[in-house]
Amino acid sequence: MQDHSELDEFFAHRPPAPEAVAEVRRLGIVVSGSLSKGLGVKLDRGAVVEGMAVGRYVVVHGQTGRRFFSIITDVALDATNPALEKTPPDTSDPFLSQVYQGTATFGRLEVSPMLVLDPSTGSEPEAGEPKPVKTVPAHFSPVYEATEEDVNRVFGAGDERHFYVGNPLDMENVRVHLNLERLVERSSGVFGKSGTGKTFLTRTLLAGIVKQDTAVNLVFDMHNEYGWESQAEGRHRVKGLRQLFPGKVSVMTLDPESSRRRGSKVDFEVHIGYDQIEPEDVDMLSNLMSLTDVQINALYFLRRRLGKAWIEKLLAEGEAGEEGGPSELDMLLEDGQLHGGTLGAIQRKLGLFRRFDFLRPRVHEDVVGKIMDYLDRGLHVILEFGRYGSTLEAYILVANYLTRRIHGRYVQRMEAALGSRTDEPKPLVITIEEAHKFLDPAIARQTIFGTIARELRKYNVTLLIVDQRPSGIDEEVMSQIGTRVTALLDNEADIRAVFTGVSGAGELRQVLARLDTQQQALILGHAVPMPVVVQTRTYGPELYAEVGHVEGEALQDRLTRNVNLLQGDQEFEGFE
Amino acid sequence: MEIQVGRIIRSSTTRFAVGCRVLRPEVPVFGSLVKVPVLDDEVYGLIYDVCMEDDPYVRQIAVQEEVRAEHIEDQRRNRQVPIEVGVLVVGYRRGGTIVHRLPPQPPTSLDVLYTCTGEGLVEFTRRFDYFRLVLDNRDLPADELLAANLRYAAEARSDGQAFLVDAGRELARLLNMDLVRLDGLLRRLRDWA
Repeated sequence: MQDHSELDEFFAHRPPAPEAVAEVRRLGIVVSGSLSKGLGVKLDRGAVVEGMAVGRYVVVHGQTGRRFFSIITDVALDATNPALEKTPPDTSDPFLSQVYQGTATFGRLEVSPMLVLDPSTGSEPEAGEPKPVKTVPAHFSPVYEATEEDVNRVFGAGDERHFYVGNPLDMENVRVHLNLERLVERSSGVFGKSGTGKTFLTRTLLAGIVKQDTAVNLVFDMHNEYGWESQAEGRHRVKGLRQLFPGKVSVMTLDPESSRRRGSKVDFEVHIGYDQIEPEDVDMLSNLMSLTDVQINALYFLRRRLGKAWIEKLLAEGEAGEEGGPSELDMLLEDGQLHGGTLGAIQRKLGLFRRFDFLRPRVHEDVVGKIMDYLDRGLHVILEFGRYGSTLEAYILVANYLTRRIHGRYVQRMEAALGSRTDEPKPLVITIEEAHKFLDPAIARQTIFGTIARELRKYNVTLLIVDQRPSGIDEEVMSQIGTRVTALLDNEADIRAVFTGVSGAGELRQVLARLDTQQQALILGHAVPMPVVVQTRTYGPELYAEVGHVEGEALQDRLTRNVNLLQGDQEFEGFE
Repeated sequence: MEIQVGRIIRSSTTRFAVGCRVLRPEVPVFGSLVKVPVLDDEVYGLIYDVCMEDDPYVRQIAVQEEVRAEHIEDQRRNRQVPIEVGVLVVGYRRGGTIVHRLPPQPPTSLDVLYTCTGEGLVEFTRRFDYFRLVLDNRDLPADELLAANLRYAAEARSDGQAFLVDAGRELARLLNMDLVRLDGLLRRLRDWA
């Protein structure tokens, strides 16, 4: 008994573990700056320059008790006397180098204040809400490393509106949460060079949206990566959304053969009839199919004259040649209303459609109605392109065809609902890849995707743009993108494009150009309180579990539990 | 232990001179800290110069062909003109507080000058505000003087090396516009460190 108390006494007096008393580390003091250009911070002697990194958070403690939550945008070396650069002291001597470091020579940080945290009063949690920064801290305000508590205060806790997307750099225990409601409120974009993890990021975001049920998704899945499992770069397989959310995600395909080969479970094969295609759908392909303005005008004319079956007639004419009397087309030619060369070019170019097996002369089912039906029921739709994913014409044709019509129906429904929220259709997020092909400055103004991006949430439809060349996207559209999730980009034009319409972009450029090639992303815009560099969370078992997916032993356990529940008490042996 | 150096023969607010009879191993030493009690205060200074003037008898002896050892000894012990020690004022103590500024009044003639070593030296050099009072004297070997003083101050401490680094940093701040001078001064400190 005696021993016990002695032990207790001993342990009670042990100093707390170092991590428990980890002091907030002071980095330096504010020495210059402005709100527009960011603050200059002179590093304290004890702060190691090499320990700083762009994209990390610091907190400036202002005179009035406000905390300025800021991000490091540049790290520099400075000296009190410029002549020191020309005649550096003999630093092989430890004494001299000790004296010079931190006095005549010192490290300097450029930090960009992003948010102000008012001094918390303790009783009112609202008082501590981060606000946009409108002023700068005074001269010589001390600068500290941001603590986990600070970061948590800014990026909030995970709840039904927020979804965990990653950790800030060097802060493994802190989670950055994305406000999904705000993410789907406006169009958003995922950018990055190929191989930087765009698909993983997108898949994570989509999983979040599906899990939290903030919107319904329509994904034009070019490379068949979202629906069923696909291979990651490390040769391991990752699960698709359909596997994670059975019953909530439905997969449609344009290429049933490819889906079957990959073992993807498909709900529905998509077929589009020639008679359902309008000239506007083909117009979108004018660049790819190199249709001239004359030829496009001729398309509209032909549609008017030939009626619904215009494409079928055009293709039949090109193929079979004459049979019997003069065809409608011959008559148009004879009347001089159509030039023979133009018609020939159109027929040749539309001949491409014959290679698309999902296009049929006549289709009785209504694909758009079917998809709308799914979306209305809150089911997320992923459209796999199979082998057509590598044919850009097919991708654009189908994406444009469906989006135009679905958007049209949303517009009708929203207008019918006239602001009564209950009748409004569920917010829809349309995911498109290779977005610069849809949102090219030359066509973005006319296409449906340009319209959706520009009209914001008016009709409850927004885009999730996945692209590797944001510079190819129309500037007006880019400026309307609410949330930008950007993995590494190194092309100057692309970087500039990503920051279109973002204030304080100059400093963030440095941050973006220095991201790791994988699993790091800069998130900025509507869904986060301030730009943030995250080590993105791994799309793997942990995420699967969080979104409610069970497998292996856990699945077996659940099965046993359910069986037990159904069978009732094991002791019960019947009435007889 | 305080050793008496001599008595003041000439004095002003910034500098004063002390006369002493013989040169002993401990006093007077270039760069050492000294103090003079003046009324209720103590005025602190650094010894920047030790000067021996000639007199007619020394001149005569100097040119004799054979000088007897007794004569030399006698001349050294009973010199007609005293050894003159120059002291640069660097601060004062009033009411227990050491101030690194010029004192309101200079010491008076024939006040006694004592050495200030050990604890006293450590206490005075706890701050570095007196550097400016030393460095500003371009007519003195100010750098040499300060370096010598800092060496003694470092010797009086157990963590002399860290003290010198701190002092060096203060110098780097003060002399950042004159890198050549700074470098020379730091090298003098380093040679000891």
